[in-house]
Amino acid sequence: MEGQLAYLGKEWRDAGEALLQAELDPGKMNGVSTSMADIYEACPGGGEKYLYLECAGGKVTRFETGEGESPAAEFSIRGSYETFAAITRGELSSQRALMTGKLKLRGNMAKAIRLAPLADRINKVLARVPTAY
Amino acid sequence: MPRTITRTSPYWIDNPARVRAVQAAMAERGIDVYLGTRPRTLSFILDAFCPWRSYLLIPITGDPVLFTFIVDAARVGDETWLPQDNVRAYAPMGGQDQMSVISSCIMDEFGVAKGRLGVEDGISTYTPEGNLSHYEWLGLEAALPGWKLVNAHDIIDGLSFIKDAGTIARFREASRIVDVGQKAAREALEHGGWKGMTETEIAGIAALAMRRAGSLSEWNFAGLNEISSGYRTGLGACTPPTAREFKAGEPLMLDFHSMFMLALGDHSHNYLIGPASPRLRRHADNFVDLVSTVLDHYKEGATPSSLATVMMDRAEALGCADFLLPGCEHGIGLFGDEWRIGRADEGPFPYWTNPDHEYKAGELLICAMQYAAPDEGVGFRYENPILIGKDGCEALSKFPLAIEEIE
Repeated sequence: MEGQLAYLGKEWRDAGEALLQAELDPGKMNGVSTSMADIYEACPGGGEKYLYLECAGGKVTRFETGEGESPAAEFSIRGSYETFAAITRGELSSQRALMTGKLKLRGNMAKAIRLAPLADRINKVLARVPTAY
Repeated sequence: MPRTITRTSPYWIDNPARVRAVQAAMAERGIDVYLGTRPRTLSFILDAFCPWRSYLLIPITGDPVLFTFIVDAARVGDETWLPQDNVRAYAPMGGQDQMSVISSCIMDEFGVAKGRLGVEDGISTYTPEGNLSHYEWLGLEAALPGWKLVNAHDIIDGLSFIKDAGTIARFREASRIVDVGQKAAREALEHGGWKGMTETEIAGIAALAMRRAGSLSEWNFAGLNEISSGYRTGLGACTPPTAREFKAGEPLMLDFHSMFMLALGDHSHNYLIGPASPRLRRHADNFVDLVSTVLDHYKEGATPSSLATVMMDRAEALGCADFLLPGCEHGIGLFGDEWRIGRADEGPFPYWTNPDHEYKAGELLICAMQYAAPDEGVGFRYENPILIGKDGCEALSKFPLAIEEIE
């Protein structure tokens, strides 16, 4: 659709990064330093894609999307493209996706659980990027 | 409460050295990763109270990684010496169930594609022993293709047998705390205080006193503070307190438990609520005599069998052999380590106390003696942690051995 950016494409990434840097308050992000990679399986056209995000001192310092292997991250979340798309569209909560096994988390769950609210904030910002799935 | 213990503390335990000792034993046995699940193993390595089902992965080098139930992971991470990132959670979430986190840690993080996984298996009288379940065994085999599971609990058991100075200091303090509980109970009972009092009430009075003195738990699985009065004293060795009121002319058994830095206080003391009949007094005197006699014979080189012989010979001489329950001790260590004496595989009945186990200096055990005349509604129990020495033993609880008559 007109004005919508292809999910995980370069323009979508650029728009997402600009929104994240403009709208995430480092104070509300609790000064967190971490990294996270979402691994998208069964993408349209086949293959895997990734979304990689790095925070330092509560600020987003790196935000990448791409194909193939993602940069190493403290946490990785693996799931189908459709699952991630449903989360971004607000149709499925990330917590429910994890609880039903649609997403698989790798990393220290004890720490991840404390970061969950921050991840939700990031998702809410990214959900505002006009997106074509 | 964040962990604050330092090397200068009398209660210091060198847990990294324990890990290195485990790793050396693993290397000798050709074990690539050790998976500890028993509370005794968790206490011994983590030096933290870890009551939920947990999985401690010890690689052949480097720090262990713990996975525990998500509701308690942050608290355990706050209390153990392990780096916080090494204390992790499992949860009913994708990739975070028990088998997923264990297999991922072994294969991806430790980077061992196949090998031998030491696990903890066996049988116990103690319900929360924590051995690997059949379901877990099968689950791990499925999640770890190319790995062979081997029973290796004896590595931890062997290393935890002789207590180090920090552990012994903790047990002395736990016993001091139990004595505070016994003193509080004594004061509550005397001068007619026992009238209208119940087993549960005296258990609570002691618990409060021990908590105020530094205990964190009445750790015992068989009823916290075990109390019995009247005919219930003759029923056996584990008696959770009830709402039964104390009565004149009856025996009373107070078995209190404290926990200090995972070390376990365990002292059982007996009373007669006056007026005591001559027969009751005779039973009581017999029991004190027997306990005293047995305590005099604990030392390096003695065995459970030799102690039992001493006990029975004296009981025959006193004419009370029919009232003694077999055995006069059980094992003890940090939280979760209770019951058998000796290695699991050295006695005639695997996973039971080896009657021919020769005590060595530095071993801790509970001298535990039970006298029961159920037909007469009478029984007594003595328990006290004792530290084996070259020529004798040190009874850690100092509450005087006696069976007083309380008016």
